[in-house]
Amino acid sequence: MADVTSSTQRDATQRPEIDRNAIAIALHRRSRRFGLFFWIPMVWLIVVAVACIFAPFWGLPPADEIDWVYIQSPPVEGHPLGTDNLGRDLLSRIVWGGRVSLTVGFAAPFIGVGLGLILGLIAGYYRGWADEVIGILIDAWLAIPGLVILLLFSVVFGGSLFMVCVSLGLLFIPTAARITRAATLNYATREFVLAAKAMGASDIRILRKEVFPNIIWPLIAFVLIDIPIAIVVEGSLSFLGLSVKAPTPSWGGIIAEGREVLSTSPHIAMVPTVVMFLTVLSFNLVGDAIRRRLADVREGAI
Amino acid sequence: MGDIILDVRNQKTAFVTARGMAQAVDGVSFTLERGRTLGVVGESGSGKSVLSRSIMRLLPSNALVPADSRVILNGRDLTRMTETELRRLRGPEVAIIFQDPMTSLNPVLTIGRQITEVLTFHMGLKRRAARDRAIELLRAVGLPQPDVRVDQYPHQLSGGMRQRVAIAIAIACEPDLLIADEPTTALDVTVQAEILDLLQRMVRDRNMAMILITHDMGVVAGRCDDVAVMYAGRIVEKAPVRDLFHHTRMPYTAALLASIPKITDPPHRKLDAIEGRPPDIINPPPGCPFAPRCLRADAGCDAEKPVLAGTSRHQWACLNPLGEEAPA
Repeated sequence: MADVTSSTQRDATQRPEIDRNAIAIALHRRSRRFGLFFWIPMVWLIVVAVACIFAPFWGLPPADEIDWVYIQSPPVEGHPLGTDNLGRDLLSRIVWGGRVSLTVGFAAPFIGVGLGLILGLIAGYYRGWADEVIGILIDAWLAIPGLVILLLFSVVFGGSLFMVCVSLGLLFIPTAARITRAATLNYATREFVLAAKAMGASDIRILRKEVFPNIIWPLIAFVLIDIPIAIVVEGSLSFLGLSVKAPTPSWGGIIAEGREVLSTSPHIAMVPTVVMFLTVLSFNLVGDAIRRRLADVREGAI
Repeated sequence: MGDIILDVRNQKTAFVTARGMAQAVDGVSFTLERGRTLGVVGESGSGKSVLSRSIMRLLPSNALVPADSRVILNGRDLTRMTETELRRLRGPEVAIIFQDPMTSLNPVLTIGRQITEVLTFHMGLKRRAARDRAIELLRAVGLPQPDVRVDQYPHQLSGGMRQRVAIAIAIACEPDLLIADEPTTALDVTVQAEILDLLQRMVRDRNMAMILITHDMGVVAGRCDDVAVMYAGRIVEKAPVRDLFHHTRMPYTAALLASIPKITDPPHRKLDAIEGRPPDIINPPPGCPFAPRCLRADAGCDAEKPVLAGTSRHQWACLNPLGEEAPA
């Protein structure tokens, strides 16, 4: 509160009154501050992200290198998290597997929201038959079970990382399109859109410059929700062997391999599970905090 | 007499609604010369705003305009233009200022962005040049600290300031015709005069023509050259402003003028409201639309729809106009 000075002059002899403004400002700042439930998960996410992005530079043994001396070993020197049942370094596999999980976690929502954004903008802005057709397409798409689509993609494209991202992304399209459409409907009839039209702006220009900046916030919130979902779904797919192919490690894959020796070496399955749990939880907590902040900003702007 | 900028001929605009066709603008014709201001007055629902949007060709998709309606701007017929041609014209040739500056500015873009937007795509200015020009425009419309304001968002500005920004955007491309659709209705009374003075100055300095739409007779009195009074989608009287006030012919205009409270009135005097309501434009009466509310109406008024008559200077649509012996 030191930086907030009283705006009114007071008699020096009078007992210093508590400055109401200062309290209000301080309370406001406190309410705006990100708490520990933001920063602890954020630090974890940064650690995970840095570890995965710069995986080749840590001097870890290659994720598929077999150490014949230590097979299915608990943590020992040289293998800080031990080795799996084939003698591969668990830490290295988790780090390299994280690259797959995080790639899918970010790429899938962006693919889904990107395509859903285009469909939703068209439907919400032009209305009429475009809205009808897109609405029917989305309903049809929702009627197909997601698992079938994922299975189909993994069968046809055989576990390429890109196709895993695409297939997961496709599942996010309907919700993203609906959110975009609803938000677009809200803004497309506003007077500033008419004003832009009156100044000669084309439809694409209006969508890009007038509507899009207004609807970006709900979409960001949606992406923040989808990232952990994508990570979990990718983990499940890997567990079922429907994601990237062995020997490429992924968190779900490592858990699946560890399952076979769960009774003798539980750490092989447990460590990647815990890592994944913490990462997903962190994404959720951080996403929540950011969403709340965005809501504040939006309210302030109106 | 200067050159004619706008020539509207028999503009009719109807909307398809669930109840039927609503004839919002019903055969409006007028011309407007460079440097002159036409006031369009009428109560709510008289078709003033629809007329302005019809001129801009900014009508919603359920609007119907018959093929014989013409809007000729600078010698070119807007009704025959494609959407692409219209887009090139909106801004550099015709611009509009809306009633409520709270809603006509985008809340998430800085006002600088909203002005430079227009400058970059109509005038082909580069980023820096556009920004400098935007600051210049903001200074021209009397916004204090334009170099600071240019980076602010609409919510950081007061209503009057926002309307100044809207005016800056409208005049950014030096249009020949400026339509001001109730530009001061949403503003504080004290700011109204400032904004109207500003508009008047802009029109004079830049030699534009302006259509000033309002429901306020007082706004029209000091600032327009000609006045058109609209009722139920039609122009019912059109005259130079002095003639309209001093030689009123149409009973509706007279009733509008009488409804303005006078400063000399005793306190607590009952306001002279016009009895009744405007006609239903979906099922309009066969005769004069004002006849049911008119004190001078007779049987003829209910049967026959009057057309604009009189001299080219002063026209009125009435069978029993004021200032004439009522036929026996």
